[in-house]
Amino acid sequence: MSDLISGDGRTHVRSGLMRESLVSKKLMAETDNKRVKRMVPDVNMIAVGGRSIMDRGREAILPLVEEIAGLKGRHKMVLGVGGGARARHTYSIGLDLGLPLGGLARIVGGVEENNRDILQFLLAPHGGVTFIKDHFQDLQLFLSNGMIPICIGQPPYHFWEPPSKEPGRLPDNGPDVGLFLMAEVIGAERMIYVKDVDGVYTEDPQNDTAEFISETTAEDLLARELPDMPIERELLRTLENARSLTEVRVINGLVPGNLSRALAGDAIGTRVYSTRRSGDSE
Amino acid sequence: MNKREGKIWIEGMQTELSGETLAGTGIRERLGNRHSVDVLPDVWVIKIGGQSVMDRGADAVHPILEELLAARRDGTQFVLGAGGGTRARHVYALGLDLDLPTGMLARLGSSVPVQNARMLQMLLAKDGGIMMYPDDFEKLPFFLNAGCIPVMSGMPPNEFWEKSAAVGLLPSNRTDAGVYLMAEFLGAKGVLFIKDEDGLYTDDPKKNPDATLIPEASAAELLASGQDDLIVERVVLEYMTRAEKMREIRIVNGLVPGNVTAALRGEAVGTVIRA
Repeated sequence: MSDLISGDGRTHVRSGLMRESLVSKKLMAETDNKRVKRMVPDVNMIAVGGRSIMDRGREAILPLVEEIAGLKGRHKMVLGVGGGARARHTYSIGLDLGLPLGGLARIVGGVEENNRDILQFLLAPHGGVTFIKDHFQDLQLFLSNGMIPICIGQPPYHFWEPPSKEPGRLPDNGPDVGLFLMAEVIGAERMIYVKDVDGVYTEDPQNDTAEFISETTAEDLLARELPDMPIERELLRTLENARSLTEVRVINGLVPGNLSRALAGDAIGTRVYSTRRSGDSE
Repeated sequence: MNKREGKIWIEGMQTELSGETLAGTGIRERLGNRHSVDVLPDVWVIKIGGQSVMDRGADAVHPILEELLAARRDGTQFVLGAGGGTRARHVYALGLDLDLPTGMLARLGSSVPVQNARMLQMLLAKDGGIMMYPDDFEKLPFFLNAGCIPVMSGMPPNEFWEKSAAVGLLPSNRTDAGVYLMAEFLGAKGVLFIKDEDGLYTDDPKKNPDATLIPEASAAELLASGQDDLIVERVVLEYMTRAEKMREIRIVNGLVPGNVTAALRGEAVGTVIRA
């Protein structure tokens, strides 16, 4: 694969993609593959809600921390966390100041770092360590030593955040998407969103007519165009295209034991899965 | 501790975004499409192609840099973003052969544009060329005010966080996307892609002799046309249709002397694509 090819004014390295523009749809289809390798397949990525859990303070956080501490040793876990009320405040002030979308995406992670540091402090006696972008490839170092890596959720697109698909010029990509993408490249076994509702409902669960959705494809959930959801809309699009992680679960972290049950594979909360799901990832 | 609806409450935290989750359609529609400030409106963002320019070596690179330096002396300010090219294609081919996921391919593809940016920095050093990494991005005004020419990798910092595409495992966001998004954030004066073709053709002109040049095109129409090969990454066209600032891009053939200069003067060379 190392031959050098010239003759058209450029020097190419011989490869399957030699001289290709990498834009052609035909070529992209040829690069598809139903099986991608998994980096650390026995990991559970657990997303702790910012607004739904962290903003509730001790009543919500301390029992969850206890439960996580008790699960250590039985499950490999990576924790991620969102920003909650302070992320919303950041966006609100940033929008009022006229900051561009990429600027909002750059600054919002700062308040997630608060929540990550709080969880790390509380879990430190049980092996909680901060897990940052530059140490992504050290994941096994932490896990093999029995630690619980804790990271922020916002993906590091920063100033490069793409223009939003949703109205309102806020970043489409938040902590739900960022943690999913980490789990996808890790090739994690499970992705669990710990929130303050039992899962996804057809409308505000406080309404009598609200129906619980126990299972849905991401595509169908997106097509419902629900006015509000406990997970980001962009997560559904991201999940549809993912190759190794083909389902996520949304559970109520205010109910003791729920996280343990989800890690044990019990069908609690809402299961959202990809229409690609066929179980053929390695 | 003061709480409202079970959540920590302090005076002043209430905003228009407090009530619902950020997935709520109501919130986003109420925010509307507000205008944002221009961060660096007088600065051009210019991409130097990897396969199209860097891999051609001195014959292509040196004359383009001469034109850019002349424009700099005339007071044009710009940031350069480097493409990847052939070595990036090689490592993608290797990664695909090993069934590596998209996030890993994006990580691998990030190394080669950095090499190319460093090459450009060395060539431009005596005239103020300076490497700028994503972490230095906020120092951009300092570099420009000091008379420097900041050189960056064109890749966006997505790496492991690159999403899988609907079709194919190659990262959708590569150096065209990174350069475009940087210009969009800056509210730049313009974004210019220096390549080795006169602009956009109806097909890959290197393979199809019947392909014809399209001097002006609409991003939305191009996406809808189903044209298989394009001169910029497809996501750039998608982003353009939703962008606030960078509603047009220009692509020029840097191998033709005078093209880069003409484009920076706002003349109609190459292909212009408008949202």
